[in-house]
Amino acid sequence: MTREISVTVNGTVYRKQVPVRLLLVDFIRDVLDLTGTHQGCTYEGVCGACTVQLNGEAVKSCMMLAVQADGQQVTTIEGLARNGVLHPLQKAFKEHHGLQCGFCTSGMIMNAEEFLRTNPRPTEDEIRHALIGNICRCTGYQGIVAAVSAAAEEMSAAGTPAKSGS
Amino acid sequence: MYPASIEQYHRPATVDEARAAYAAAGGEAMYIAGGMSLMQAMKSRVLSCRALIDLSQVSELRGVENSGGRVRIGAMTRYRAVAESRAALGPYQALADAADRVGDRQVRNRGTVGGSLSWNFVVACTPVAALACGASVSILRADGRRESLAIDDFLQGPMTTALSEGDLLLGIEMPVPANPASSAYRKWGVVVDALPTIGVAVFVELASASSCRNARIAVVGLPGGPARTPRAEARLKAADLGDPSSLAACAKAAAEECDTAADPWIGASYKSHLIERLCLEMIGTAVRRARSQMS
Repeated sequence: MTREISVTVNGTVYRKQVPVRLLLVDFIRDVLDLTGTHQGCTYEGVCGACTVQLNGEAVKSCMMLAVQADGQQVTTIEGLARNGVLHPLQKAFKEHHGLQCGFCTSGMIMNAEEFLRTNPRPTEDEIRHALIGNICRCTGYQGIVAAVSAAAEEMSAAGTPAKSGS
Repeated sequence: MYPASIEQYHRPATVDEARAAYAAAGGEAMYIAGGMSLMQAMKSRVLSCRALIDLSQVSELRGVENSGGRVRIGAMTRYRAVAESRAALGPYQALADAADRVGDRQVRNRGTVGGSLSWNFVVACTPVAALACGASVSILRADGRRESLAIDDFLQGPMTTALSEGDLLLGIEMPVPANPASSAYRKWGVVVDALPTIGVAVFVELASASSCRNARIAVVGLPGGPARTPRAEARLKAADLGDPSSLAACAKAAAEECDTAADPWIGASYKSHLIERLCLEMIGTAVRRARSQMS
């Protein structure tokens, strides 16, 4: 019924005894108290708010069990800023009104961060296509797309895109 | 919406270990691939199990390989990897077309070809693409026998396949034809990258620049799951590929032989229209791709 797992989250190794059925999103939020990852659709897998990175790749953390992350690297929104300096995506979301209520923001950014590593100079269409799995009910997406675009420009100008945490 | 209690979790590294874990659980086990469908069913309590056997670390089930005249795709190959393997897929580009537009980035990062085929959801993209590609499906039966089935026999209707309790899908494979050949898939849904309202996959092997040696057409979005369109295939095999009216007649035949049904959003006649339009477009794409291999 329970199992000991060891998961590296934002560079820190956590050893915890967890129920096998515990979803990864609840492990992150309730066991580790990293509440920047949100749960928006009662675990239905449709809103993308719980998006984190598993070994550097965007995944919805309500779509897998915590035990499946055993021995793996997880990066959450808390792992993006470095020494108190916001990641270019975080800065751009703030500057370009990429959020109103902020509920979807961490999922948007964790998806966009991996997307920009695979496609550092995306077109607007490619950005919109990449964000299909993340729902925003406030902004109408215009500010979000502008933010991802601005972050891509800043990161490209600065050289290689920032490597994700962990 | 939360999974029922699960007693054991196993993450085997090999197929043999996976089978042993399944057998040890005494019939109350489930294999999980990427989990993009199975987790939903577990969270809504449609399915539950005593032991969950996670295939994600079974490396022998992963990868796209093109060698010895065969294209092989391991069951645990993720959509993302299939979409990124266009060169290795050779004539079977329809599978990359399908994988590239499944769900969203997060789903493509975890969902697998084998998971989709095993689940065989009524409007999934991978089964219809594999049907048009004429895949052979490799199965490891629960008793240890290996078996290869034509995809036409593997897919047995919505959420039904030739898999029985404890069977493991190992992968699919297709021969590389002697002549220039290619395939294409496109879907139309209510929103971009959603499950298809209608999707059409076409495979052609050319005899010349203007004629087919072989053709397969499959349609998804029908109440009975993905289906081939034999009359349209026969027309395409006999068609002059340089004659637009000949190709239009193939697409029309495909629409006419499919029994579409209205859903709350889309009427039956519009679905027929979609079949015709997408079929014509996919014949064009498949033929163009195949011709590009002619010197």
